Amino acid sequence: MKTGIRAIMARTLRELAGRPLYWYAIIVLPLLLFVFLTSELKEGLPAKAPAAIVDKDHTSLSRRVTSTLDGMQMVSLTKECDSYSQAMQAMRRGEIFGFFLIPENYEADLLAGRSPVVSFYTNMTYFIPGTMLYKNFKTTAVYTKAGVVMNVVQSATGATSEEVTPVINPVNISAHPIGNPWLNYAYYLAVSFIPGVLQLMIFLVTAYTICEELKRGTSVRLMRMARGSVVRAVCGKMLPQTLIWWAIALFMQSWMYAYNHFPCYGSMPWITANTLLFVVASQGFALFVCCCLPNLRLALSIGALTGILSFSLGAFSWPVSEMYGAVAIFTWIIPVRYYFLNYITLSLDAMPLYYSRYYFAAYFIFILAPLPMLWRLKKAWLRPVYIP
Amino acid sequence: MKKLLHIISVFFRSLTEVYARELRSLVKDQGVVLFFLFLPLAYPVIYSLIYNKELVRDVPVVVVDHARTSDSRDLVRKFDASQGARIIGYASDLDEARRAINEREAFAIMEIPADYSRAIGRTEQAQVQLYCETSLLLRYRALLFSATEVSLDIGAELQARGLKEIGVSSMSVDDPMPVVAAQLGNLQSGFDSFIMPGVLILILQQCIVLAVGMMGGGRNERIMLGQRPVFATGSTLITLAGRALCYITILALPIIWLTHFVPIIFRFPMMGDSLQIFEFLLPVVLSSIALGFIVQIFTSEREAIFIIWVATSVLFLFLSGLTWPRYAMAPVWKVLSDLIPATWGVNGFILMNANGASLTDIEPLYRNLWILTAVYWAIAWAAHTIVLRLRIRRARLRQP
Repeated sequence: MKTGIRAIMARTLRELAGRPLYWYAIIVLPLLLFVFLTSELKEGLPAKAPAAIVDKDHTSLSRRVTSTLDGMQMVSLTKECDSYSQAMQAMRRGEIFGFFLIPENYEADLLAGRSPVVSFYTNMTYFIPGTMLYKNFKTTAVYTKAGVVMNVVQSATGATSEEVTPVINPVNISAHPIGNPWLNYAYYLAVSFIPGVLQLMIFLVTAYTICEELKRGTSVRLMRMARGSVVRAVCGKMLPQTLIWWAIALFMQSWMYAYNHFPCYGSMPWITANTLLFVVASQGFALFVCCCLPNLRLALSIGALTGILSFSLGAFSWPVSEMYGAVAIFTWIIPVRYYFLNYITLSLDAMPLYYSRYYFAAYFIFILAPLPMLWRLKKAWLRPVYIP
Repeated sequence: MKKLLHIISVFFRSLTEVYARELRSLVKDQGVVLFFLFLPLAYPVIYSLIYNKELVRDVPVVVVDHARTSDSRDLVRKFDASQGARIIGYASDLDEARRAINEREAFAIMEIPADYSRAIGRTEQAQVQLYCETSLLLRYRALLFSATEVSLDIGAELQARGLKEIGVSSMSVDDPMPVVAAQLGNLQSGFDSFIMPGVLILILQQCIVLAVGMMGGGRNERIMLGQRPVFATGSTLITLAGRALCYITILALPIIWLTHFVPIIFRFPMMGDSLQIFEFLLPVVLSSIALGFIVQIFTSEREAIFIIWVATSVLFLFLSGLTWPRYAMAPVWKVLSDLIPATWGVNGFILMNANGASLTDIEPLYRNLWILTAVYWAIAWAAHTIVLRLRIRRARLRQP
């Protein structure tokens, strides 16, 4: 039997290449999800949301409202309903995500100053279409109203439209989204979910390769190959995986920034360092779990649990400041959280490196964390027990 | 007639036999019990707790006020009082404000121009800039909503003042066209109430596939080690049906928890009729079990199911149309999403639970779900029959 770290590395490579499961876990599934997440979110913002108009007035004024609505960027009037209940039913069937209601005698009431009530309804259980429709419905209502007020003022005073406009909207607060002026959804979701997928697969594969030795009882031989040194054994098992994951991670990075042109205003070497360290940090996290719980199923369960919860605890969409304290502390123990923070500071906001210092330091804590616990893994590897 | 009775009795006997054997081995298997019971109990609670505050409130904002007048202070005060924003202080210029952003003390800068009051006094439009950091869309959304609200609010105030100046009494244009906006299903349009009801169904499907896959992996593992597979009467369909019945028994508890108690605890919308929801969930559960049976074929050992299946949750979450509407999907992904039980389950459950749809309202959806169930069962049955035959042949070859 050959011993030494090189022999162990060769053994690890044979193991990884020999099982379809690893090909699936390291290459097929991550790449499928990378492609899926970017291609699904490619448009950035979803196309027009299906909505209905309930026009009970049928006058030229109400038709003008309808055509304004139809011209809105995010509304697609797919249905015309005669009544509230009909529109409501379409909503319950999931055919539309909102509707705009113009009451009977709208025009007549308006001209007579009887203040007709215009209403709109949005289905907020579907967040994106609901919000989109809400925004466009509201704009339509405000425009229509402004036009009405303007008419009233003009007819009362004879003032010109230039004179009247600022009075209607005297303070204009214009919001400027810095970094992502397109407000492109893909830049948020893909950039955080793709590394999240990578982290999850690193957790699972690391736990599987480390603890499978216990299940099959091959760890005794592994320790003999390492001449009794658990560090040598772990390095021999992890280093080939690190190299493979680095290849995948670099592909991920070029897939996002080079091929799909996600915004990146920072320096590429540091962004690359971020990607590479993130991979090793994820391995460190998984290794730490394996050392604490040297049991295949438990290590995989913890890896799966944290890996999946990372998509929420990574605070990609929901800010940490709005989580309960007891929940928020868990955001600190997740490698992909630091990847995301580094992405924001380095690429999106393009801040000086100074502001990423803690995030980079955190990676090293993850990488070093398993060291003090390796003795537990050694004990387990020398006397492997399999608990199903 | 006698023959028919005999067949029926044999059928039921073998079915109960499979059922009892599966139940016994399931209860003894910690890993599977974890998937069937612990996961659906714990996951929704953890998830709901993360998003439980529902709305992003009081995003810290730093102000650069070049005007420093009572009007500009009034604007800042109003913005501070709004739901989405909180003023953390004034900065002397944009550079200082930018430092506050870099230090993550604030996430937006409000810049008020020097001629703010003058513009208002002259009935010109005053331009206020709000620079937002965009790492999180929800923060931007909160600020945007507050900004619109404040600008309309001040607008209305100044309008009354201004119109009086041009000589229109404010009464005649008080509110010529009141607008009422209703947000349905999710009354305060909170994030938790939006995402969780759908995720509950996704959790249900994933737990079922994971548990069923793990059972199958264990079985495959033992067969690899030389144990002969046990089948009650040699009929694959009866075996699969018996097992499915056993899983449904175990699942009753988690389903009630997921669809009834979790929404009560976290105050999610609950408009649906519980019995109709259970009726709707039956094909979701059945097709998920069949999906699990299919996945079993590829699960070489118990723990492999983690690697095979866990990451698909991300895929299914997006395919369900919960975060990304289905009408905006590329055709390939739409077809794929049609094939996933959770897609139908999530959408049907949301419509019933949050929008108060009845089973007849979502009849086409419910029908598709049953078709999907039938297809999945047919595939599962065929796949298991083929695998069983291959195994028997291999066993014969080994022992001539």
